[in-house]
Amino acid sequence: MTPGPLLLFDLLLPAVLLWLAWRSLTSSDLFRAVILFIAFNLLLALAWVRLEAPDVALAEAAIGAGVTGTLLLAALTRIESAAGRRLSRPARWRPAALVLTGTALLAAAAGLLWSLRLLPTMPGGLGPLVDRHLAESGVDHPVTAVLLNFRGYDTLLEVAVLLLAVIAIWCLDEAVPFLQQPLESPLLTGFNRMMLPILLLSAGYLLWLGSHAPGGAFQAASLLAAGLLLALFSGASLPAQWSGLPLRLLLVLGFLAFLAAAIIGPLTGRALLHYPPAWVKPLILLVEWLLTLSIALILTATVIGGRPTGSRPYPPPASPAAEGRQR
Amino acid sequence: MTELCLGLALFLLVTIVLGLIRIRRGPSDADRMLSAQLFGTTGVAILLLLGQATDRTFWWDVALVFALLSAVTAIAFVSRNEPSETAQQQRDDHGS
Repeated sequence: MTPGPLLLFDLLLPAVLLWLAWRSLTSSDLFRAVILFIAFNLLLALAWVRLEAPDVALAEAAIGAGVTGTLLLAALTRIESAAGRRLSRPARWRPAALVLTGTALLAAAAGLLWSLRLLPTMPGGLGPLVDRHLAESGVDHPVTAVLLNFRGYDTLLEVAVLLLAVIAIWCLDEAVPFLQQPLESPLLTGFNRMMLPILLLSAGYLLWLGSHAPGGAFQAASLLAAGLLLALFSGASLPAQWSGLPLRLLLVLGFLAFLAAAIIGPLTGRALLHYPPAWVKPLILLVEWLLTLSIALILTATVIGGRPTGSRPYPPPASPAAEGRQR
Repeated sequence: MTELCLGLALFLLVTIVLGLIRIRRGPSDADRMLSAQLFGTTGVAILLLLGQATDRTFWWDVALVFALLSAVTAIAFVSRNEPSETAQQQRDDHGS
């Protein structure tokens, strides 16, 4: 029996979530839409916690509210400063857009409802199956076991998608300077001195936690990315000699390590992503560590938006004129 | 004790709902941003209270992430506003 206050809490939270989602989509001022989106993500994390899904709640709080909020704010600032004015979108929807979007949404909702009927009815879902094989997975937390072992290819392809996103962003343009003018404030310096070590420590904590409790590479990576972003906002930048090949290697390192671990299976006569039983735990931990590093850099690169200036994604230009322009 | 924690968590959620008025009305961007920041802080309190009431320690980790990351969004906002506010201040100084 749910206690009274908790029941009210559970009723109020979804109502606020729906209102926030609706306002975030329809608000004509883009800045307000971003703020509503950040608030939406914070409360959504609370909802995941109430649904007893701590892993999703952690990811939602870290990636949704923290990194995505910063990404949207930074992107909006950049677009507005390029446009030279505050951006908004039409307050009223065109009737055709309303009808088309409404039809598409209704169709999607109907499809979802229909697919609910087709789901196999399994008492307890796949939970018992995972619990039975947990000992073979090399880790003690079922979610990490599923993400990095039982259904490792999902995570592998997710990381590939993130990499593709960075490649697409880098193809579009060179990065504009991250700050129009550096924030010079003793408050920020003191804040960073305190926050950067704590963020680093907490990232390590969440990463280590992943092997036996809710936590893991993505959550740790967003804390690490938050640290990198703080440094960027304080005017730090990557030295030019690091922004070429070394940065690219670090970006793909996690994916390559995961791929290498996946290929060990076929090389030793097993299936793809079937790790050798004796090495399961060290392999998963190594992949998680390298993934954390790469994902943190990938998230930071998406917020910066654009390839490092002065780096050469294509074969080095031959003409001295182009050489001069690069410098 | 459990009842008290749950009651307080509900009360805090109601304060978040009231905070939505600031996001809706503003009037300035800073009011809206601070309102969202306040949600982060209130969220930490709600998580700790609910964690205490239901004896689940993993909620503390979510609260930790809330507390650490909401600061970064605030800095992103300050970096956005700084130039225009300086300009505003210069205009004010000039006028007075």
